[in-house]
Amino acid sequence: MSPVSRRSRRPLQFAALAAGTALLATACNAAAKDSSSEGAKSSGKSFTLVTPDAVGQNEFLKLAVDGVKAAAKAHDGTQKVYESSDTASQQQNVQAAVEAKPDVIVLVGFEFADLVAQQAKAHADQQFLMIDACTTKTFKNVGCAVFREHEGVYLAGAEAGLLSKSGKVGAVDVLDTPQFRRYSDPFAAGARKVAAKTSTSTRFVGGQSPFDDSARAKEQANSLLSKGTDQIMAAAAAGNYGVFEAAKAKGAFAYGVDVNQCVSSPGTVVDNVIKRTDVAVEKGIDQVLGGKAGTTVSYGLKEGGISLTGLEAGVDSSKCVIAQHKDVLTKVKALRDQIVAGELKVDDPAAS
Amino acid sequence: MFFDSDLLMSALRALTPILLAALGGALCERAGVFNIGLEGMMLMGCFTAVTTSWFTGSPWLGVLAAALAAAAYSLILAVGAVTLRGDAVVLGIAMNLLAVGLTSFLLRTVFGVQGTFDDPSLAGLPLVGGFSPLAYLAWAAVAVATLVLSRHVWGLRLRGVGEAPQAAATLGVSPAKYQYAAVLVSGVLCGLAGAQLALGNVTLFSENMTAGRGWIAVVAVMLGRALPLGVLLAALLFGLAEAAGFRLQGLGLPQQATDAAPYVVTLGALFLTTARRRRRTTPAGAVS
Repeated sequence: MSPVSRRSRRPLQFAALAAGTALLATACNAAAKDSSSEGAKSSGKSFTLVTPDAVGQNEFLKLAVDGVKAAAKAHDGTQKVYESSDTASQQQNVQAAVEAKPDVIVLVGFEFADLVAQQAKAHADQQFLMIDACTTKTFKNVGCAVFREHEGVYLAGAEAGLLSKSGKVGAVDVLDTPQFRRYSDPFAAGARKVAAKTSTSTRFVGGQSPFDDSARAKEQANSLLSKGTDQIMAAAAAGNYGVFEAAKAKGAFAYGVDVNQCVSSPGTVVDNVIKRTDVAVEKGIDQVLGGKAGTTVSYGLKEGGISLTGLEAGVDSSKCVIAQHKDVLTKVKALRDQIVAGELKVDDPAAS
Repeated sequence: MFFDSDLLMSALRALTPILLAALGGALCERAGVFNIGLEGMMLMGCFTAVTTSWFTGSPWLGVLAAALAAAAYSLILAVGAVTLRGDAVVLGIAMNLLAVGLTSFLLRTVFGVQGTFDDPSLAGLPLVGGFSPLAYLAWAAVAVATLVLSRHVWGLRLRGVGEAPQAAATLGVSPAKYQYAAVLVSGVLCGLAGAQLALGNVTLFSENMTAGRGWIAVVAVMLGRALPLGVLLAALLFGLAEAAGFRLQGLGLPQQATDAAPYVVTLGALFLTTARRRRRTTPAGAVS
């Protein structure tokens, strides 16, 4: 459900696409890669990670791979990674994972929700762990890890409030739904927390392809910039690049999501709300092995599942603007500690 | 306050790719080929423009390559619908689907990324007086297309081919030749539209980045009754409605409502124009 840069298409479109390119796709269908497996001798615990896309340079998925490796190490077990390249190979990989009967099968992304629901029913003794998504029905053998993105967005908003010169901050969001408002409402709240007079505004990309339309996202950002906004939260999937372009042209600043997006527009992107999939995978596996299978756990600032690039190690080499504002980071860290301690509560737009 | 220069600029930026594609669609319509493959041709243009600009460092070569690639791609429609007498609608839809798949596939093969290719050193088109040079080209193309269609022998023959192919053939005008030309020119225009979108409006390629603009162009062709000026007005209407929609969000209207703005405007315009046409239609029968 997250407006991530790595997922700019919806499953439905992808189905049509797969049909349209059946010929071409066969070439890569076969690439249900079993990219890594480590030493056979072990405690016997085995974990399989299935990714929705090729891992390659995808930081979000690289973290998930790190997580499953760390879990294998911690439990003195083995791990395998099945990388998918399209819907067909996702299905094949899930099937292959189930047939190999590892202790836990870890799957990243909403793409797997239906596949897992089918398999969980058919293989009641196989444990599944879904990351950043969940099956609609609950199963005893499906654990889920979801993220409290709004906590990170709130901190990004606080940075924006502290850095804004015009006193106007805004967000370009994908769609006006409670789930996506997690990327815009807390941004406004965070900015007002540190600078009460900040005026805030949100634009939603909308249109026919809200996740793909970078030109439209850029125009939405332009409409914020023309009103004097100088800090923009970009949560528009592929549209983020359009938002960065618009901000750069006007000398304004933007905030990215999920992974370090500072590298795609250095000097413009201040910070990013990142999802530590590695933390969620590692803790999720512990939880399944610890006898708490089938539960949904949410990861936020407290669990280290959500963070900002600026709050992580390596901020100085991140190319993020925030690296030059240590004073702002100090204040944001104080806010984070308050949220972690439960003294400060961030409203969740998606709470029902 | 609401209608200011920013709004107009935003509308004009949104207008250019749609206008270029719609002009191509209008030419095909005039020649009697219903072209709904505009979206796919445009997307091929986007990808070729970005790839060429990236590898050569020249956005101009990107524009040229986009025009050529989209023209080559449009041959599917030309061969399929004109030579083989296939269903243009089916061909157009197939072209749109193929373009999404093909460009996504090539994105992975060529750049090794998924979703979006974006690099700070990718060269985009320069701005001249606040607009991309292709924007001026689009306006000029409206004038040229109007003149050619109404005055030049090519335009008159093209229209003849579209309205009465057998009569045209009797007079020694080859319908196939004119239809091929119309489809190829529409390919070139869609390629330019794609280049404008991927190197002008933004400087990047992302999967399915045309995001329905080709379909809006198809509607603009119908709404503008395949007249270059009509198409221009229709595309301008869309651009304005979209830009105004963004503004209305700022005034607190929900996104779902502002999203509908271009379509509400289209429906309104459609009702108005058809109502006027009805009233004007005389028993003698008006030839458009």
